[in-house]
Amino acid sequence: MAEGIRIDNLVKTYGQGDTAVHALRGVNMSVAKGEVVGLIGPSGSGKSTLLKCLGAVIEPTSGRMTIGDRVIYDDGWKVGDLRALRRDLIGFIFQAPYLIPFLDVTDNVALLPMLAGKPNAVARKEARDLLEALDVAHRAAAMPSQLSGGEQQRVAIARALVNRPPVILADEPTAPLDGVRALAVVDMLNTMARQFDTAIIIVTHDEKIIPTFRRLYNIRDGVTIEELQLEASPARRT
Amino acid sequence: MISLAGRDILHGWGKFVLTGVGLGLLIGVTLSMAGVYRGMIDDAQALLDNSGADLWVVQKDTLGPYAEPSSLNQDTERPIRAMAGVDRAAGVTYLTMQIAHEGKDVRVMVVGAEVAEPGEPGQPPHLIAGRRIVQGHYEAVGDVKTGFAIDDEVTVRRNTYRIVGLTSRMVSSGGDPMLFLSLKDAQEAQFEKDADAIVRQRARNASSPLLNPPGNPAVAEAVNAAQASSTNVNAVLVTVVPGADAEEVAATIRRWQRVTVYTRAQMEEILIEKMIANSARQIGMFLVILAIVSAAIVAFIIYTMTIGKIREIAVLKLIGTCNRTIAGMILQQALGLGLIGFAVGKIAATFWAPFFPKYVLLLPADSLRGFFAVMAICALASLLAIHAALKVDPAEAIGG
Ligand SMILES: Nc1ncnc2c1ncn2[C@@H]1O[C@H](COP(=O)(O)OP(=O)(O)O)[C@@H](O)[C@H]1O
Ligand SMILES: [Mg+2]
Repeated sequence: MAEGIRIDNLVKTYGQGDTAVHALRGVNMSVAKGEVVGLIGPSGSGKSTLLKCLGAVIEPTSGRMTIGDRVIYDDGWKVGDLRALRRDLIGFIFQAPYLIPFLDVTDNVALLPMLAGKPNAVARKEARDLLEALDVAHRAAAMPSQLSGGEQQRVAIARALVNRPPVILADEPTAPLDGVRALAVVDMLNTMARQFDTAIIIVTHDEKIIPTFRRLYNIRDGVTIEELQLEASPARRT
Repeated sequence: MISLAGRDILHGWGKFVLTGVGLGLLIGVTLSMAGVYRGMIDDAQALLDNSGADLWVVQKDTLGPYAEPSSLNQDTERPIRAMAGVDRAAGVTYLTMQIAHEGKDVRVMVVGAEVAEPGEPGQPPHLIAGRRIVQGHYEAVGDVKTGFAIDDEVTVRRNTYRIVGLTSRMVSSGGDPMLFLSLKDAQEAQFEKDADAIVRQRARNASSPLLNPPGNPAVAEAVNAAQASSTNVNAVLVTVVPGADAEEVAATIRRWQRVTVYTRAQMEEILIEKMIANSARQIGMFLVILAIVSAAIVAFIIYTMTIGKIREIAVLKLIGTCNRTIAGMILQQALGLGLIGFAVGKIAATFWAPFFPKYVLLLPADSLRGFFAVMAICALASLLAIHAALKVDPAEAIGG
């Protein structure tokens, strides 16, 4: 399978000298396109820090990161425009859906292609198609506050997918959902990963969804340990 | 691209409009203050326009007749009338006083002008009702702002006058409506002594051997008569013949008479730069304070709205919205608030202007200036919120 995102020996140190916090001490990770992996670890182990580095929100202290063929960081060197890079290459799904409350469902999703310069009509068409695929097309004209938690999360997934990024980062996406809905979201992410050939990394604590990952990265004290779960059932229907 | 600012405003329009209305009332007050100032200038100009004069001849070295007391003998006008370039000259008196009308006191400026053919300086240029004064006594023409009606009886000092005509926009530089009397009546009102004073003066005359020579009672009577009446005026209003240079005519009058002469431009300077200047500074202070208060309100509201959206702004930044778009959203909201505020303010100021006791003149040019000032203030006030928004770290959307 083609490589989606890869990091080699990524180090992130907050602060300097005596007060320095070594959040990441040399992390290696590789996720293929169309693959969904879990990222787990106890609190304070460095999950959020790693996610921020992967998301080009903060810069690692050293190490190398590539998305597809593009080098993003290489030992202190970084691409010029991280903002445009986030917009074009990375989709984000948060703990809470964080939809823009003053935009309707369609425009919440269409905003990204609009920001990338696409005409409104084209952007809205793309948004509606995705909402269709995620089974929320019937709420396309609603405001976020009118949706249920599950519907909001599906709209958030549509927003993460709409620019067809090669990588999607999900930060505890099932935290606010009950077991059935949580599994439904993971199921949906698996489907989307295959359908759009996207590498998806899911940070989670959620015991209910951990068994669904075929491959897991367990992070402890800033170092990842790769785990395989051969009996995992990623496409389990609920 | 859609307008993020517009969508946000539409989403929470109730709060936004309410704030805009509050701001608008403040802007309305500001526009009214400017209108009061313009009204004062306009009153002063109306006073000068309606006097019909090209030159004002006043007591030597005074700023009369409007800004300082001035007293001239009525006979000053006769030699002036004969001078080259002078078309007409007429003595006038001005006296601001309270007069009783239907149980209420009305503050008016009593103007005495010679009963003369129309167009004479000092006469009202046109009447909106009734007729001019034709009798030498007991007739008056009042401005509509006095509240008097034709055939009303008004009492000035000891005499009663009948209103025979009405004028409009005839006001003193202080905005008091004018009441025209014949010159003689007005002189009586202005220079008349009370009964007690006359009695004492007569007793004094009677005891003076000079004014009351023994065996000749006619002398004392003549002295008493002379003292009881006055032939003084406050100014002589002069018009120049068409084509004559008012400045030159003024110079001629100054050369031959011991008087001070003002041209229209000088008179305007006295009224506007000397009399109104302090009020203008006062109003200027108000404008500055109101501008600061408006800016504070806009800054506070826009800042609060922005802080309420910090999470959304972090998400917008994380998904790749550039700073310019976010700053633009906040700026547009501030300008939108200013737009609503200005519209409400303009409507409010126009609505309540007639209820002000003094003339409020809302000039379109002032409104335009006000509009740009409001927009500039709103833009400035949004800087605080923009600063806060640009400081938001996109990493906040991910959390710890
Ligand atoms: N901005 C920061 N500055 C300093 N230290 C930080 C910062 N963010 C996280 N850390 C530290 O880095 C370590 C890893 O934190 P984090 O990545 O949030 O772990 P997790 O998400 O797994 O709980 C912790 O010890 C935390 O205190
Ligand atoms: Mg964390």
